[in-house]
Amino acid sequence: MKLEQKTKILRSCQFLAGAQEEILLELANESGLLEIPGGNTVVTKGDAGSTMYFIASGKARVHDGDAILAYLTEGEVFGEMAVLDSDVRSATVTTETDSKLISLERDALWRTVSQSPAALKSIIASVLQRERGIVHEVTARTEQLLAYEKELEIGRRIQADFLPEYVPEIENWEIASYFEAAREVAGDFYDVFELKQGNYLAIVIGDVCDKGVGAALFMTLFRSLIRATCQYGMLSQEADLDDASPEHTIEVLQKSIELTNSYIATTHSKSSMFASVFFGVLDTDSGELSYVNGGHESPVIFRSGGEYDVLDVTGGVLGLFPWAKFSIASAQLNPGDFIFSYTDGVNEAKNESGDQFTEERIFEMKDFSWNDGNEFLDEILRRIHAFRGDAAQSDDITMLALRYLVV
Amino acid sequence: MGTMNILVGQEQGNVPVTVLKIEGDLDASTFKDLQDKAAELINEGTANILLDMGQVEYMGSAGFRAIHAIANMLNTEQKEGMYKSEHIKLLNPRGEVARVIKTLGFDSFLEIHEDRAVAIASF
Repeated sequence: MKLEQKTKILRSCQFLAGAQEEILLELANESGLLEIPGGNTVVTKGDAGSTMYFIASGKARVHDGDAILAYLTEGEVFGEMAVLDSDVRSATVTTETDSKLISLERDALWRTVSQSPAALKSIIASVLQRERGIVHEVTARTEQLLAYEKELEIGRRIQADFLPEYVPEIENWEIASYFEAAREVAGDFYDVFELKQGNYLAIVIGDVCDKGVGAALFMTLFRSLIRATCQYGMLSQEADLDDASPEHTIEVLQKSIELTNSYIATTHSKSSMFASVFFGVLDTDSGELSYVNGGHESPVIFRSGGEYDVLDVTGGVLGLFPWAKFSIASAQLNPGDFIFSYTDGVNEAKNESGDQFTEERIFEMKDFSWNDGNEFLDEILRRIHAFRGDAAQSDDITMLALRYLVV
Repeated sequence: MGTMNILVGQEQGNVPVTVLKIEGDLDASTFKDLQDKAAELINEGTANILLDMGQVEYMGSAGFRAIHAIANMLNTEQKEGMYKSEHIKLLNPRGEVARVIKTLGFDSFLEIHEDRAVAIASF
């Protein structure tokens, strides 16, 4: 490329708009010419660099990894920031198409333009213009982020409606619950509701795999399907009965879990989303608990005598295989007994070394003396926090506990 | 985030069985590799997969979701009374992985074998 051509290109750049002909000619004389095929990285973020580039022809992409910051074409410059302030490259530039670049070294640039206040002025103006563009872009993105944040806050509030606002008051029973999301929205859920007939209380605790918005959407689906299938199942019983029979209750429990599982496994098969669910129906008169444990952490029954039992899984997690079968198991609660259910935010809480809180530390609660259920949950939380130390909460924590009161 | 390798082996039992030996962590950063590898093999005609879990140190929910997705790709018509997948089975999960499989009840969906030869003959 001839000197006149280089001068012409430099003259067309906003960066040197104020420079006189002799300055442009001198710069052109000091400059090099590069022919770069498309797809090559010219400057890399974080590298030191003393060369700036004027695009004579072609197109280049300014980016930070996959995030594209700008496209540059003929007459535009890049690499000038590191040249002007001697810091490292602030972004990566890669050619999009075969490009011709005029290169200029820091020393040559300073030596030449320092003779010309007009050239310096246009350099300053062009840098400030870019700066203003960045401020504008950052402002726009911040506004967008705030809008997302607001949406997420709405999501969080709506999701809170999918947890019971209050737990029912049942004679001879005390119910305590705790819920703490690790993020704005959660995949954990719990539910406590009375069935329409008989003295039956449904208790549900679940944990949808994964985190964030996806898990939250599925949480609302699982929770609603379980409640709806269960209540509809109870309502479908013949109306002339005063009480629901235990057999019918068990059937409803099983149907409810199977319908929820097969609906999600069939309708949402492609998502491969699943939930571990413990679902129990408690006869609040007799203390008999019928339950399905679909792949959930085993609830613990702390007996009044200091022993404890665990309610192991009776089937797999819900939502994956439509043909999955879930067995019903039962346990007897006696006055003074306390059933504690929880999600893996409890037993898998991690300390800074990555060790887990484990079930064993839950079992150790048998030696803790307490007066009401909330005191028990507070103590568990205190122990989790003490164990965790400075490590962050990585998962939602949900606990649901019931005590059969001694009267 | 962990790293993972997959070694592919072909075995002949009653039917051809592709053994995927997984080494490392099966988590949110690696599950896609397993899913993609399985998809590629299934496209090439693989109909039966045995996942050798003996060298898996950690498996998170993403790993279980990947196994479900592979089971879906291998999906055949459900037969009466069939409650476990006939086309994807697990071999020799250990330690923490075995514990999580049990906790999530995955042993009720999938056959889990301890002996390689028995596992291959079971397809």
